[in-house]
Amino acid sequence: MEFHPQPTPGTARPWAFPEPERGALPNGLTVLRCHRPGQQVVAVEIFLDAPLEAEPEGLDGVATIMSRALSEGTDKHSAEEFAAELERCGATLDAHADHPGIRVSLEVPASRLAKALGLVAEALRAPAFAESEIERLVGNRLDEIPHERANPSRRAAKQLSKELFPADARMSRPRLGTEETVRRIDAAAVRAFFEAHVRPSTATAVVVGDLTGIDLDALLAETLGDWSGDAGQPRPVPPITADDTGRVVIVDRPGAVQTQLLIGRIGADRHERVWPAQVLGTYCLGGTLTSRLDRVLREEKGYTYGVRAFAQVLRSSGPDSGGAAMLAISGSVDTESTGPALDDLWKVLRTLAAEGLTDAERETAVQNLVGVAPLKFETAASVAATLADQVEQHLPDDYQAHLYARLAETGTVEATAAVVNAFPVDRLVTVLVGDASQIEEPVRALGIGEVSVVPG
Amino acid sequence: MPMGHTATAQAGSGGLTATEHRLANGLRVVLSEDHLTPVAAVCLWYDVGSRHEVKGRTGLAHLFEHLMFQGSGQVKGNGHFELVQGAGGSLNGTTSFERTNYFETMPTHQLELALWLEADRMGSLLDALDEESMENQRDVVKNERRQRYDNVPYGTAFERLTALSYPEGHPYHHTPIGSMADLDAATLEDARAFFRTYYAPNNAVLSVVGDIDPEQTLAWIEKYFGSIPSHDGKQPPRDGTLPGIIGEERRELVTAEVPARALMAAYRLPHDGTRACDAADLALTVLGSGESSRLHNRLVRRDRTAVAAGFGLLRLAGAPSLGWLDVKTSGGAEVAQIEAAVDEELARFAAEGPTAEEMERAQAQLEREWLDRLGTVAGRADELCRYAVLFGDPQLALTAVGRVLDVTAEEVRAAAEASLRPDNRAVLVYEPVEPADDADGEQAGEGTDDAHEGAAK
Repeated sequence: MEFHPQPTPGTARPWAFPEPERGALPNGLTVLRCHRPGQQVVAVEIFLDAPLEAEPEGLDGVATIMSRALSEGTDKHSAEEFAAELERCGATLDAHADHPGIRVSLEVPASRLAKALGLVAEALRAPAFAESEIERLVGNRLDEIPHERANPSRRAAKQLSKELFPADARMSRPRLGTEETVRRIDAAAVRAFFEAHVRPSTATAVVVGDLTGIDLDALLAETLGDWSGDAGQPRPVPPITADDTGRVVIVDRPGAVQTQLLIGRIGADRHERVWPAQVLGTYCLGGTLTSRLDRVLREEKGYTYGVRAFAQVLRSSGPDSGGAAMLAISGSVDTESTGPALDDLWKVLRTLAAEGLTDAERETAVQNLVGVAPLKFETAASVAATLADQVEQHLPDDYQAHLYARLAETGTVEATAAVVNAFPVDRLVTVLVGDASQIEEPVRALGIGEVSVVPG
Repeated sequence: MPMGHTATAQAGSGGLTATEHRLANGLRVVLSEDHLTPVAAVCLWYDVGSRHEVKGRTGLAHLFEHLMFQGSGQVKGNGHFELVQGAGGSLNGTTSFERTNYFETMPTHQLELALWLEADRMGSLLDALDEESMENQRDVVKNERRQRYDNVPYGTAFERLTALSYPEGHPYHHTPIGSMADLDAATLEDARAFFRTYYAPNNAVLSVVGDIDPEQTLAWIEKYFGSIPSHDGKQPPRDGTLPGIIGEERRELVTAEVPARALMAAYRLPHDGTRACDAADLALTVLGSGESSRLHNRLVRRDRTAVAAGFGLLRLAGAPSLGWLDVKTSGGAEVAQIEAAVDEELARFAAEGPTAEEMERAQAQLEREWLDRLGTVAGRADELCRYAVLFGDPQLALTAVGRVLDVTAEEVRAAAEASLRPDNRAVLVYEPVEPADDADGEQAGEGTDDAHEGAAK
């Protein structure tokens, strides 16, 4: 073949993260809307200010059961009818409870938005919470628990939460509850949680997609506008604290062919100035296959299919509000390579702390993180999810748009400092789900902290 | 020389258009313009998958796909990844039974780089392929196998059901991940021979979709790909044709460390690309997709014997497709009880067919899935390649949803009657090993902590 030199890029076409239009309905519901031409599948995200922290003592999981029960019947439709009507719109509806609150996510072709939004409004305005449906959801949830325990990455996540957070903090316990707490949940508890924490005045709806020809104001007025409730009281939010004393916990899985790694602690959230530098540095450490971790663990040694470093906001409600992000490294390595892989991982962290990032690494990371934005936000669902994240984390509507400028301004020195502070070698809690009889001794020999073993 | 076709939107294509071209070396090119977002997707399908592998070398097509990211004539080491990501793009490759695809989504002004990179490896991969990357990627792929199949509950179900559904020696009897023994046995020379055999411009389709200038794009494609020689070393895959019905039930019981009993089954269905396959898709949707499907209503809502119950469809063009039943039991429910209920529902459906409302729901769901797939430039590029490679006509991608909406309730009933029967399935039953003496001091599992996507490739 005839070789040609590597081409030079053309001129970039400007792109900006879309600016939503903010408003409110008379019932107090906040509405963010964003017209995205060509996006025929409209995404609606509704954030309900019903955090896990608000679950009554001993009823962990009630927020989850309540969120699932929203689509299990209303004053007008039985559970089966409701599901059928939604699917007749070609819609999908998910509801999910997490530390910051509940997210209800609808995706539906624009042509059937009116009907689907009507159903969602009905679910929020008058959920049935029928006893027999709640019983079924509780049973279903109890059935799910062993499946999650069997999954190595979920098992690791559960153990890390238990290790990091104080025993009395909601964050230390499984988000979806335990067998003991879920068993106690009944229809009355679900309704009580709904009545205490779900109301339009503390909720936000985000609507994104091709809204051509849709009178959204009229549509909102006759759907979500019909939902009523009182003003609600602001709730104190306890600060997140964690014990990140360097240590290793092995969750024993005799015979496992791989070890699942989850190495974490908590750190800065999006309200802190360091966030863009932390994003940049974390990407350089473990954002992709050519980042520092995979360059060694995967592409040089072949120990893994891939190891990633990431920061994920746990809960955040403003500057100095005690919010935090989980900072973690995760992946899986073959059992035999567990010791050598952790040894290399720590070497990567130490080298990073000693020598810092290079300008070339920082440049590539900026180009990627900023450059992929138009790809990442091509669909309505991805835009809606990010806008709803901003609402959930009490960030301004133009946060994401400005983040790109801040990333581009972040220098190598700042990115290095941020990632080294985020992943200090002596303040990391390491959870290993694997065969203790094979990995315990090699891991002890590394001296990365006290090692304990718990049953799988 | 590129040959153009006019771009005129066909009925039912949602206004999308595509043009087709062919270079002198046989490379087929499909272009589709869309200027809504300043991005362009490049997708390259090679007409080779695990069905082309020979005995003793299962997994080679997928292992080879990894080697395509290890450098080529002008691209050093991991340069392919570094250059695309450094240009603000995203990329990957995947291997299935029937094809191997490679794709980059780029900001528009970096499109030429992606074309240059794909051409470089198509034309000169062997300049860079060495023992070191072979050994390294062999280990990576073995860890991929452990992570995705061997170290998760029910992880090998797909492999087992596939092996039960297609007879020994059939090209689809084994799955793309391959066996550990065959991955160990593959040599550098196998990889070289694989490239020489299957990686040629006349065995590929390139699609470029998005914010593009078609004339400029074609000129770049001609410049970078035009001088890569074609060759005809390719062997056609072994024939995948099988009788329409298995003719007996095949069954395997697995006793393993799984959290609950499970009933899984694969039904032999019509080939992808046929109207009968679309009818079967609708039947499986009514029966087993979503929260209002017949199996969900029966097993999860009413009988309460299952925690989850549903059907999936594995569309295949070169062999019968598979309808995929997956039921995880609730509490102490027995598999026999669930199996009887499933058979009852399938028999009723085969006799009565879907209601008008069920048809409406199933068609609305499949329509939304198509809108999702065609709603991104990368999704559209992949579908255009799929229809070009497997069915010879990329335009079929743009009208696919219309064909699904055209199927009648009677055709859906007939599809179920023809295929969803006990003598046309492979059944896999999981029974958990008895819990040993472990003092269970642990509490519940965590549900939503899976914080990030799996690794690339």
